[in-house]
Amino acid sequence: MYYGLKIGPSKKGGIFMKLRRLTSLLLVGALVIGTLASCGSQQTESTDTGSDTPVATDIDYANFTIDPSNIPQEKLDTTLYVATSVRGLENPYIVTITEGMDEFCKYLDSIGQKYEKQVLDSGGSNDVEIDNMKQFAAKANGNAIAYADPNEAAIAPSLAEAMASSGGYIGTAWNKPDDAMPQDYDPNWAIHTSADNVTNGKAMAKALFDNMGGKGKVFVIEGMLGNTASIDRVKGFEQALKEYPDIEVAHQDTGNWATDEALTLVETWLNDTPDVGGIWCANDNMATGALQALDKKDLKGKVGVTGIDANTDIVEAVKDGTVVATVSSNGYLQSGYTLAICYAAWAGLIDPAQLPDEYRVFLTPAVIVSADNVDAYIAEYVEAVPEMDFSKIFECKAN
Amino acid sequence: MEKEKLAAWSITEEFTAKIKADNQKEHLTKWAPVFVLVALFLVFTAILGGSFASGSNIVSILNQWAIPLLVALGLTFVIMLGSIDLSINGTVGMAGSLAAVFVLNSRNGNDMGIWGLLLAVLCSVLIGFIIGTIHVKLKIPSFMVSFAFMNICAGIGLLSYGGKPPTIKDEFIASIAKSSFLEIPIITWVALLVFVICLYIQEYTPFGRHIYAVGTDETIPKAVGINVNMVKIKVFTLAGFCFGVAGVLGAIRLGQGQVSIGDGLMFPANAAVVIGGTALTGGKGGVVNTVVGTLIMTVLFNGLTMMGVNPYIKTGVQGLIILIAVALTVKHGSTVISK
Repeated sequence: MYYGLKIGPSKKGGIFMKLRRLTSLLLVGALVIGTLASCGSQQTESTDTGSDTPVATDIDYANFTIDPSNIPQEKLDTTLYVATSVRGLENPYIVTITEGMDEFCKYLDSIGQKYEKQVLDSGGSNDVEIDNMKQFAAKANGNAIAYADPNEAAIAPSLAEAMASSGGYIGTAWNKPDDAMPQDYDPNWAIHTSADNVTNGKAMAKALFDNMGGKGKVFVIEGMLGNTASIDRVKGFEQALKEYPDIEVAHQDTGNWATDEALTLVETWLNDTPDVGGIWCANDNMATGALQALDKKDLKGKVGVTGIDANTDIVEAVKDGTVVATVSSNGYLQSGYTLAICYAAWAGLIDPAQLPDEYRVFLTPAVIVSADNVDAYIAEYVEAVPEMDFSKIFECKAN
Repeated sequence: MEKEKLAAWSITEEFTAKIKADNQKEHLTKWAPVFVLVALFLVFTAILGGSFASGSNIVSILNQWAIPLLVALGLTFVIMLGSIDLSINGTVGMAGSLAAVFVLNSRNGNDMGIWGLLLAVLCSVLIGFIIGTIHVKLKIPSFMVSFAFMNICAGIGLLSYGGKPPTIKDEFIASIAKSSFLEIPIITWVALLVFVICLYIQEYTPFGRHIYAVGTDETIPKAVGINVNMVKIKVFTLAGFCFGVAGVLGAIRLGQGQVSIGDGLMFPANAAVVIGGTALTGGKGGVVNTVVGTLIMTVLFNGLTMMGVNPYIKTGVQGLIILIAVALTVKHGSTVISK
């Protein structure tokens, strides 16, 4: 509703006018302080240009190890801005990404590097993610490293460009357009990695089909449309489907990675396909919804379900036998090692532009969790954070 | 003879005829949403056969209807005021997350049982009250205040469980999702109970009449001494209550507390309220319209899902059908008499 402006301050209005003035004063104050602070940091940065150590040309990258004694003291004393750019913290997998950054920061502590860490939350918006990255890169003035999970494939180059314009280093994961390569933004777009979505999707489908005895009807719940991870996982599912001629897809739709949408889909489908044998979900959040829908019809445990991501509740369900399998993309490893590689580049220990192509774009290893290994998995990844040696920066590359 | 008759029409007669025609039109638009609903149901039954009209799918529809209904009920009063509440995604998500961490769950040691659910609703009521108060006292447009609170509430929800969603372990509360009474899910009964409360408020309390009055032209109730600000604060508080119940039921339905319970609820709720025939300008419509509007949306989503429409075109098809429904049900253009 529209309110007319009050002319002449009433007693009440006066108080709120004062409140408003106070707020605006505070805001202006914050602005001034912010500007001063950024000027200050710019002054300190300007002293360490041209201090990069020379980069050796023939390096055994597979066994490359960060030797802290090769990092100039000026670099260690410069505040390095460390970030992960993610879609939103409501997803447990994404929490492992931020925890991977925390682990990497412990490594920075151990070698005496000054840093500040930050989580850039895009809330699932392309524009916000790009703006976040621009602001972060500008603030850091070149002394920045970031791990980014582009909200959609199309924005990966924009994120790299945002970082490149300030001179920091970025590593992306999961989504990028096929025709865009880190080499396009040498040396700032250091690497792009991805868990092997096709292989993971296929492995889950095979586990599901085997659980069904190789025949029957299945539901397929895809992730967000246009999202590379979802497209590739479904591609893997379709590859497996060709190997199992007696499996029939009864329904296929998108659950947008969300639990409640998957619940609604399965709840509806069960009405015309009560004899479904298995449900393949493109991530674990949606597997949680599928399980809940099955539970309502007392079918939980009778209909096989698979997910991807190894969320805690789904790992527990694997242990209980209500979920056939899930696969961990190991978010700790993805973010932690990507930041380690970017750090090595920022510290001048490696030059991304000279890395062989297979070290610019590569797959990271995944762990399949099924009834066979669920106890060992819980001990290593759920009850603890896996041990990672970030000095061996390319240990995260799948063979 | 004919001419004479026309000439004989006095202004009063013309006026009466106009009112009559207008009333007829009004009558038609009033029932249009119901026709749309029946038509949708018949079309889906014709395409999908028995499985769409089966008892178990009706139960599914009722299950899927409960939360959108609650959200839209709260929003209806706000829209009747001529205001808007954008906090839905956040408040619903927050109430659901809080409910899950208050009861016995996988993340912490709390075990408040039913009291935990009530406390979560209370938090949401409080948020509604704060939104209304800030809107009225600081004279900030409602969409801005509520937009800010969408983010604040989503933040509170996320903080409450630290990113790893709590699974509800309280067996009684978890079993509510599966329970039904007279074949209708308990969740839907709760939503219907809230509907009855809202209907009572709208039809039989002075507060209900004041909402219409404020929505139509707030200078009139002001002139007769109604505390317009208080009416507005009460409406936002009531909306907070509806969103809170929606969030708690959402968490029970999922068996888990997640901020994302609230995602994507706001615009369908707005569409449902408008399709039902409540005018965005305020002063018209009501909760009965909203019942029909939300049913249309739920039946539409359910039918399209069952049809297995290619997901790449489904969203577009949904949009198109919503547009058609709005075009059929919302009164376009204004005549001399109706405002």
